[in-house]
Amino acid sequence: MEARPAIRRSAWNQLTHMGVSGALSTSTPVLQSPSEETFPKFHDSQQVSMERPVGHAGHLSSNSGVVGHIVSSPSIFSTDLHYSSISPREKQSRNNPFISKSSSSVSMPLPHSSPSGVFHSTVSCAYSKENSDSWGTDSLPGFLDFSVNTPVQNSQIESSSCSGIMAAEDISKHNDWQENWFAQITDDDALTSNWSDLLIDNNVTDLEPQMTYQVPKPSSMNFPAQQSQVPQQYPASSGEILPAPSREILSDHSKDITAVTTPSSAISAAAKPRMRWTPELHEAFVEAVNQLGGSERATPKGVLKLMKVEGLTIYHVKSHLQKYRTARYRPDSSEGSLEKRLTPLEEMTSLDLKTGIEITEALRLQMEVQKRLHEQLEIQRNLQLRIEEQGKYLQMMFEKQCKSGVDKLNASSSSLENTSAQPSDAMQVSPDKSQLEPSKAEHGETEVDPVKSKVASAECADEPIGKQKLPETEAPEDSEPDVSMSRSPPPPKRPKIKE
Amino acid sequence: MKFGKWLRQQMQETLPSWRDKFLSYDHLKKLVRLISAAPAVLTGKSGKAKAQFLYLLNNEIDKFNTFFMEREEDFIIRNEELQKRIKRVSDTWGPNGCHPSKIIYENEVRKLRKDIVDLHGEMVLLVNYSNVNYTGLAKILKKYDKQTGALLRLPFIQEILEQPFFTTDLISKLVKECEGTINAVFLMGEEEERNREVNEGTAVAAGDGIYRNTVVALLTLQEIRRTSSTYSHHSLPPINLPADFNLIQLVVQLNPPISIIL
Repeated sequence: MEARPAIRRSAWNQLTHMGVSGALSTSTPVLQSPSEETFPKFHDSQQVSMERPVGHAGHLSSNSGVVGHIVSSPSIFSTDLHYSSISPREKQSRNNPFISKSSSSVSMPLPHSSPSGVFHSTVSCAYSKENSDSWGTDSLPGFLDFSVNTPVQNSQIESSSCSGIMAAEDISKHNDWQENWFAQITDDDALTSNWSDLLIDNNVTDLEPQMTYQVPKPSSMNFPAQQSQVPQQYPASSGEILPAPSREILSDHSKDITAVTTPSSAISAAAKPRMRWTPELHEAFVEAVNQLGGSERATPKGVLKLMKVEGLTIYHVKSHLQKYRTARYRPDSSEGSLEKRLTPLEEMTSLDLKTGIEITEALRLQMEVQKRLHEQLEIQRNLQLRIEEQGKYLQMMFEKQCKSGVDKLNASSSSLENTSAQPSDAMQVSPDKSQLEPSKAEHGETEVDPVKSKVASAECADEPIGKQKLPETEAPEDSEPDVSMSRSPPPPKRPKIKE
Repeated sequence: MKFGKWLRQQMQETLPSWRDKFLSYDHLKKLVRLISAAPAVLTGKSGKAKAQFLYLLNNEIDKFNTFFMEREEDFIIRNEELQKRIKRVSDTWGPNGCHPSKIIYENEVRKLRKDIVDLHGEMVLLVNYSNVNYTGLAKILKKYDKQTGALLRLPFIQEILEQPFFTTDLISKLVKECEGTINAVFLMGEEEERNREVNEGTAVAAGDGIYRNTVVALLTLQEIRRTSSTYSHHSLPPINLPADFNLIQLVVQLNPPISIIL
């Protein structure tokens, strides 16, 4: 840990250099050293059983969201982070500057729901929500403010185990860098002393073993209150590290120009953004080209100037112009038609009447098949979209339940026995159910109905859910084995709440 | 029929330059198996594996996106060129054009028809490409979640839904437009052909290329939707082709025939 202060300082400097405000993934060098040094420590202090890769996606996502906002590519960082742990030396260039590859655990509970709006729904409900209030911003200054509060919160932290976010390997990984991140921001000395305290105290809770992570002060935030609930929430939180593959997709596709960078080209992102062309854009392009005297005479620069489209780079125009020229002078050069030429259909003359008719018929048949395929693809796509929507919806319902469950636990342990809690629960459950009804009617997928109704009546950390046919979406099912420790509060409550 | 097999079949029958642009489903499947088999005791190991998994997935998605957008751009250009060409042909050699010439006109129209049908086919195949890969990703994620107990699937899928390669609205729109254009083009010069001797129906010899690819695509679609070992509320219902649309007959007509284990 001694190395930490030094690391933090340097990292912090780098951080400031980066320019926090929503910077794109750039080619800033990664902080290599921290990871090297802290990695072993992480292992040592880890008592985590990584077998529970439950998604805290919620937290992480929110975390990464915040960071992502700054870096604008949570996925990049997440994958880079992981990857960095694999081969610290190799992927340096890809790493986000903010991601120091430290492997020390920590949860940087940046609850701020990702500005990019990525995984908001997967956040462990209470925790993230409450935290988001305190966070509010996604810029560094916000962090700094936070660090100021940390000393105050220290005691609270100690009593609690890390945010329920911790746990899965990757979470820890994310937490690692987040901790570093945070570490860089906050005061070294205060943190160091507190960390050791935290380490000692972390064995206490009934939370997952991962709780032994060193928790950065800032994470305390609304910690105390939620600590006990975190475990319960844990199962509720879902999703893993942000996958956001091409998270660099900054603008939406609806716009004419969408600069899409790929994670793999984090460094070269600026150099080679992928543009998504539209017919309108192309028309403007053709206009400009014609004005300049045709595709041969037009130059990319000239076309770019004439088009006057924002965000369009000369690189885009250049490649598009090239394609355009090819298309014009070799109108039949499509691959498909080239291949088609292999067939006998191609070899006939205009005088061959029979073949002419044959060809037409063949083409009609081909069209027929193509149309059908397209139809089916559309249908399939719509179905897939609806399925995912439904999954998302169920997830939300889950989290709502979780939240309500957590809130209750929050009140006091006696509230579990409180009969007044039951009616409210029942009330909460029934509106949820009624909400499910219309959606049930909407979607014709009957196999989902029994599942949904069960979901509505169960608590988030409820085991019955695991037994249902919810293979993919429901966190409790997946996290069941790992949450056994933390299940003590919910089970007694279940019988009372169940309708 | 399992998805892996379907995918391989699609890849085999697809246009050659597309072959390596599909999802590396088998590879990812192996990785998932590795991850689940590895003792997830130490943070390092499973963390690394998972990181690698995510990394690969992201790479795949990038691959899809790049390829998809490139093709899309290409189609936009070609579509526009075809429209221009249709107009040109009609204006130059058509009955009302400046140099009406039956023979040239018919020739050109024939070429036009073929090209536009091919363009239509390629566009549809791109939509199919998008769909196949999406399905593959969904399945891989499902496997991953199942075997590692993770919860990667849902958020990841949400992300994927917004990726360029999945948002096929533009291409679909172009396809529909194309269909309209095709109808018009087929009407061009049709009267002339009708006057000729009508040939009795002959077997259509469709070789490699778009036609074959589309037939295969349809068939595999049908297969994928037919049964599922893990039928859940995430599975799609069986495909609903019109009764008179006999795919098997089409397959038989293809030469060489496609060997599909149904």
